[in-house]
Amino acid sequence: MTESNQDPYVEWIAAEARRPVQLAADARVRIMDAVRATPLPARPRRGSRWLTAPRTLALSPLASAVLAAGLVGIGVLVGISTTSRDGRQQAEQPTAVAANAQLPVHDSLQVHRFELRDPLASNVSLVGDFNEWSASATPMERTADGKWTVTVHLPPGRHVYAFIVDGAKGSTWMPDPAALRAPDDGYGAPNSVVLVGQGSAT
Amino acid sequence: MSDDAADVRRVLSGDVDAYAALVDRYYDQCARYAVRMLGNRDDAEDALQATFLRAYRALAKYQERDKFSAWLYRILVNQCRSLAARRTQRERVFVREEALLLNAPDDAASGWSGEDEEFVQRVLSELDPLLREAFLLKYIEELSYEEMAALTGVGVSALKMRVKRACDRLRERWERIKHD
Repeated sequence: MTESNQDPYVEWIAAEARRPVQLAADARVRIMDAVRATPLPARPRRGSRWLTAPRTLALSPLASAVLAAGLVGIGVLVGISTTSRDGRQQAEQPTAVAANAQLPVHDSLQVHRFELRDPLASNVSLVGDFNEWSASATPMERTADGKWTVTVHLPPGRHVYAFIVDGAKGSTWMPDPAALRAPDDGYGAPNSVVLVGQGSAT
Repeated sequence: MSDDAADVRRVLSGDVDAYAALVDRYYDQCARYAVRMLGNRDDAEDALQATFLRAYRALAKYQERDKFSAWLYRILVNQCRSLAARRTQRERVFVREEALLLNAPDDAASGWSGEDEEFVQRVLSELDPLLREAFLLKYIEELSYEEMAALTGVGVSALKMRVKRACDRLRERWERIKHD
């Protein structure tokens, strides 16, 4: 049931437009021909799986005590940070903390770090043409001082991206305040541009 | 594990033919959106080819906690946007012959002549692309506003406004037809 049921003409347009269409008979074959001529997609790296896989950690009583003391210390630091944030809640706006850093690597990909300062956000993720604009593919991690960071490998060239910020107003897309703004694509979601150079690869 | 997730894993394990199952599963739905959005068969086929190829290249980035269909659709919507932007100078009038070619066999057998198809496609093409995209996602693909927002990167309230304006435009056109 859609709202357009209240309007017979709009509903008629929608019903007609829902009819299936037929394209060239060999269109699917051509798609699969192109797929077979393309190298297999790279599988996720084993290292990243090792980092994210759940595992059991056996600790001696002494090590457990040391770890517990460390966690308490981290908790105190987080508590201080939260208090500070609440104290200036009205004044906080997402800000860029530094130019997004580009670090050289030993192949054609460049390691690029994206950063956004937004202490009030509950979640931030990076979306761009390099991750097919997937809202869940590249979550950013919050640091104690309210920065959100993530490091990704990018091929040289121009990349368009944005941040998805979960805050008091819900989930919103926003450009990087510290980066060049991408030309308006006319669809209402401003994006940013990062230029990844080839020269810095070593 | 869903069929989609199983097929993705088979592809990533080296079974390229498993990708054909994904293409078959989503081709018709993607084709309908591309044709309605772009208004002609050649552009729609280009958009589909680019979408499925781009999704294949990026398959390792697909996260199983996402719906594969939503992930694929996000790529399709962006491909259609890019294609539409590149061909702004081209003729957009939807000719009768094209409409007849687009008729699926079942529709032709049931006496659907193509005139309605031509008319509907022309009416949709007259909508601003922003409004057309929102209208198609809401009423043809029947997505929720939350799904549309995740797919387009546009806020729910803005999408509701676009759909409303699209419906208003369609109604205005109907009124003009009745009075002509």
